[in-house]
Amino acid sequence: MVDVVSQLDLHVEEGEIFGFLGPNGAGKTTTIKMLLSIIEPTEGEAYVLGKELGDFDVHKLISYVPERPYYYEYMTGMEILKFYGSLFGITDTARMEMLLEKVNLHRDKTKTISQFSKGMQQRIGLAQALINDPKLLFLDEPTGGLDPIAHREIRDLILGFREEGRTVFISSHELSEVELICDRVAIINHGVIARQGKLTELLKGGRVELSVTGVNRGVFEDMKIADSNVHDIAGGVLFDVPEEADINGVIE
Amino acid sequence: MRPILAIAKATVGEAIRRRVLLIILFIATILLFIAPLLGVLSQRQEQTVLTGFVLGIVQLSSAVIAITLTVYMLPNEVERRTIYTILSKPVQRYQFLLGKYLGAVAALGLMMGLMSCVTLVEFGIMQNNWGKGIELLQGIGMFFIQMSLLASVAMCLSTFIAPLVNFFLTGGIYLIGTLGYAFFDSFSRNPNASTYSKWLAWFVSTVLPNFASYNVQNKLINPETVITNPIQYAVNAVIYGVVYITIMLIAGMLIFDRKEV
Repeated sequence: MVDVVSQLDLHVEEGEIFGFLGPNGAGKTTTIKMLLSIIEPTEGEAYVLGKELGDFDVHKLISYVPERPYYYEYMTGMEILKFYGSLFGITDTARMEMLLEKVNLHRDKTKTISQFSKGMQQRIGLAQALINDPKLLFLDEPTGGLDPIAHREIRDLILGFREEGRTVFISSHELSEVELICDRVAIINHGVIARQGKLTELLKGGRVELSVTGVNRGVFEDMKIADSNVHDIAGGVLFDVPEEADINGVIE
Repeated sequence: MRPILAIAKATVGEAIRRRVLLIILFIATILLFIAPLLGVLSQRQEQTVLTGFVLGIVQLSSAVIAITLTVYMLPNEVERRTIYTILSKPVQRYQFLLGKYLGAVAALGLMMGLMSCVTLVEFGIMQNNWGKGIELLQGIGMFFIQMSLLASVAMCLSTFIAPLVNFFLTGGIYLIGTLGYAFFDSFSRNPNASTYSKWLAWFVSTVLPNFASYNVQNKLINPETVITNPIQYAVNAVIYGVVYITIMLIAGMLIFDRKEV
């Protein structure tokens, strides 16, 4: 048995756009599937909108757009919304018209999904995700495989969700994407959370590396700087210290 | 109930647009239309040959449609990720499976309905024998129950078996359940057989779905074969079918509920 994800500890604030960043195969989609109760974790506990995982009522308040979503190709945009609406018992066509307009598909509402471009399919995916007026949206690689214009359209829509007070959980492997829209991020790799926090802080890294040649590693070890590390490299040493440390003093 | 009906409706819409099914239906319809020409090939009464041929076409094409329609249904939903958007809504897995099954049966009903219309036109207008045409519709009605039963077997197996394997396995079960059922049934009651063989035959004939009881061709082709109480016979066959379908669907739901998708 392989642990796809292990020891996950995530906290998403209400009303924020949370980025779940990691390379392909890191465990992002698996995590989302667990949070959606599509698959069951082997151990641990999780709460979505304050309710324990598996609480069926939560499904009325959340939505999900998978990576490269597929919708029944014979349906038109309007029929897709009617189909997903019917799963909630929603029949309000005025709301569906409004959603089509919101995602800029109102002029294409009679086109079938098979006639939609990738960007349009992603937009109808967002429209269907909004049908139940969700508090929390899970978007799996929402801009994956899209051209730059479609990229921007989707990004603007997602930013609009935050203004509407919705919480958005985005998984992505594109740092540039996450950087532009997310308030906080968690970085996952090989199923383990590597870092979590505000992106500006994570990008800053919080550490300084000094690469020095012709000096013995004992010199740095004798400085006894807290949370520092010394590594041997070719012809010298690599001295790794927190950025709060007195870097100038070390150099002197 | 609402999500089940919505999923069933979407399934019908998709099924009646699947090219492979439409091609099978098209070929069946063409064969039904040219069936009267084949009557001359037989020494037996033209009408008898035509009846057998028409029912054979309807049964075979319906079986292929039922299997093809259902074996890919769940795996396709997983592969295309449609299932995730649906299951993230307030839809339980059993509702999803039931909706898919009802949609498949409804689509099958539409396709068999079309073949029934062709059959009726063939006998009523072309052969000027409306009585026979209506009698055949009863036979096709029995086939519909048979195919619904077949679809439930394929649906149940599709929750844990790959589509291609399921296609042949369900096809095999259909063949054994149609042709071999009478053999196993009589063998289990044969006083000369060993206890072990009798038990084995009883087990097979009990566990396997009895598709043979829906095959009314023989009664129609050979009118001398009389069912003493046709209504009771049909009611029993329908009850058996509904019970078996229910068991298959419950088994499918239990497996699907635990399956990692």
